Amino acid sequence: MSVIAPKFKLSEFIKSLLDNIFWIMLLLTFVGLPAVQIVLFYIEMPVIHGELLTPFLAFTWLADPTRILPVVHAFMATDLFRIAAFPGFGFAALLAAGTIFVERKMLAKLQLRVGPFYCGKIEGILQLMGDGLKLISKEIIIPAKADKPIFWAAPVMFVGAAAAFVALIPVAPGWVVADIDMGLLAVFAVIGFFPIITILSAWSANSKFPFIGGIRALFQMVSFEIPLILSLLGVVIVTGTLNLSEISASQSFFPWIIFLPVGAIVFFITMLAELERIPFDLPEAESEIVAGWLTEFSGMMYGLVQLGTYLKLYAFAALFVVLFLGGWNGPMVVPPFPEEFLVGVEMGPVKVGPFPGLPLFDQAMLNGTLWFVIKTVGVIFFILLPRGVFPRIRIDMLLNLGWTKLIGLAFVNIFIALALLYAGVLGPGGLQ
Amino acid sequence: MFGFACAAMAPALIISRMISPRKRSNPVKFLPMECGQVPSGEGRTHFMMQYYPYILMFVVFDVMAIFLYAWGSAILEIPKVATLPMMGFLAIMFGAMAFALYQSGRRKIW
Repeated sequence: MSVIAPKFKLSEFIKSLLDNIFWIMLLLTFVGLPAVQIVLFYIEMPVIHGELLTPFLAFTWLADPTRILPVVHAFMATDLFRIAAFPGFGFAALLAAGTIFVERKMLAKLQLRVGPFYCGKIEGILQLMGDGLKLISKEIIIPAKADKPIFWAAPVMFVGAAAAFVALIPVAPGWVVADIDMGLLAVFAVIGFFPIITILSAWSANSKFPFIGGIRALFQMVSFEIPLILSLLGVVIVTGTLNLSEISASQSFFPWIIFLPVGAIVFFITMLAELERIPFDLPEAESEIVAGWLTEFSGMMYGLVQLGTYLKLYAFAALFVVLFLGGWNGPMVVPPFPEEFLVGVEMGPVKVGPFPGLPLFDQAMLNGTLWFVIKTVGVIFFILLPRGVFPRIRIDMLLNLGWTKLIGLAFVNIFIALALLYAGVLGPGGLQ
Repeated sequence: MFGFACAAMAPALIISRMISPRKRSNPVKFLPMECGQVPSGEGRTHFMMQYYPYILMFVVFDVMAIFLYAWGSAILEIPKVATLPMMGFLAIMFGAMAFALYQSGRRKIW
C-alpha cells in the first residue's frame, strides 16, 4: 500500500507485531476461554453417528480425515450450509464471478479485442481477483451533501435483495434455501425492491447524474414489471401451483417452453430490462449519463453493487430455467455411487472402510445440479450476447414497447395456456 | 439469506474503509461528479412530468396482474364457467388500458 511504504521502520513494525500479539492473548483469555466454557456447558451439541460431538471428539475426527465425513454430512443438512454455500450465496457468487469473466472475454472476442490478458498466466484469469483487490483498497468518496446512512446502506441492501432472490431458486430436488408455497409471488416481491433501492441511492447521492439514472430505473421498472408478471401467468395456469420446486418438478417430460414460447420470449425481454442490460441499460447509460445511478459510488461500494448485479443476473437466468427450461430435469448421466465404499474395500491383508456418511451428495442431486448449471449457463450466455450486438433504445421506445407490445404478447400467452388447458392437452388428464 | 448477505458484505465495506488511504482532503474532492466542471444548481432537481401517466397506470395494472395470479393458481379447481367473468374483467381492464395509453400518448396535455 502506498500509505505504509514511505514511513516504514523496522522497529515500528516489530512493535506493532508485538502489540497485536498482546491484544490477541488478552482477547483469548477474556473472551475466548469463556466462549469455550459456554459452548461446553450450555450449548447442546449435535449427536453425529451415534456419538455426541464434544470438542475433544471433533479434534480426534480432524486427525483422521475419514472420521470427519459424518461431521461434514451433518453440517450439510443445516440451514447455514444452504444459505452460505450450496444453493445459496457461495454457489451463486461463484457463478456470478464466472459470468463477469466470461462476459469480458466474450465481448472482447465479439468486438475483435483481446480482453483481460495479463493478470494471471492464462488469458487473464486472475483479472477479477485483481479488480476486487483494487476496489477494496480504494478510498470511498461520498459527496458532501449526500444522505450518508442511506448512501452507505444502498450497496449492502442491493446485495441483500439479490441474495434474497437467489434464496428462492431450487437448484436440485430438495435443494433450495426457502421452499415456500408462494414462491413466484415472493420473487415478484423481491424484484420490486430493486428499483426502490436504486432510487433511494440515487436520491441520497445529491447529484444530477444518479438522479436521472434513478428516475430512468423507475420508468423502466414501471413499464416492464407488468409484462414480466403477466408472462409467467401462463406457467402458473398450466401447473396450478406457485411453488417453484413443484413447477420445476412438473417439467420432468417436457419443458414449458415447448408449449409457451411466447411467454418465454416476453419473459426473456423483460428480464433484460429488469437486469438493466443493453439494449435496456438506460439507468446506467455510460455514454449519456456518466454511469447513471452508479456515478457517485466509489471503491468497494461500486464493487458490491456489481456483485449484486451479477447475483441478480444469475437469479434471473435460474428463474428462466426453472420456469421454462425444466429446472433440474434431464437424463441421468451421473454414475451411481460405488457400492464398495459403503461396505468397505478389502485389498489383500488391508481392509479399508466402511466409511460412515460417505455419499455426501446423492446421485439425483448431482445430476440435477449438473443439468441446472448447464441450462443456466446457456441462458446467461444469451443474456450476455445482446451487449456486444445491440445499441441502446430511447426511453419513449422503451415505454411503448413495454406497455403495448409486451403486455399484448403476455396476454396472448395467457390465452394459449388457457386453450391448452381447456383442450385437454395439459393439466389433469392431459399429457402429464 | 438477506440477513446473511448483509452481514457478509458489510465487513467488505469496513475492511475497505480500514485499508484504504484517507489522507488528502479538499472541498473539490467531495463535490458531486459533473465531468470535471464545478457543479451548479441543486442535485435533486425537478424532472419532466412527461412519463408520469405511466406510473399512474402502473399502480392500477400491477395490482390487477397480481390478482390474476389468485385466479391462475386456482384454475384447476374452479369450474370452467368461472373463466367467463374473468374474461369480462380482462376486457374491461383492456378497454381502460387502451384509453389510458391513448391519453398518456398525448404529450401536449402533460
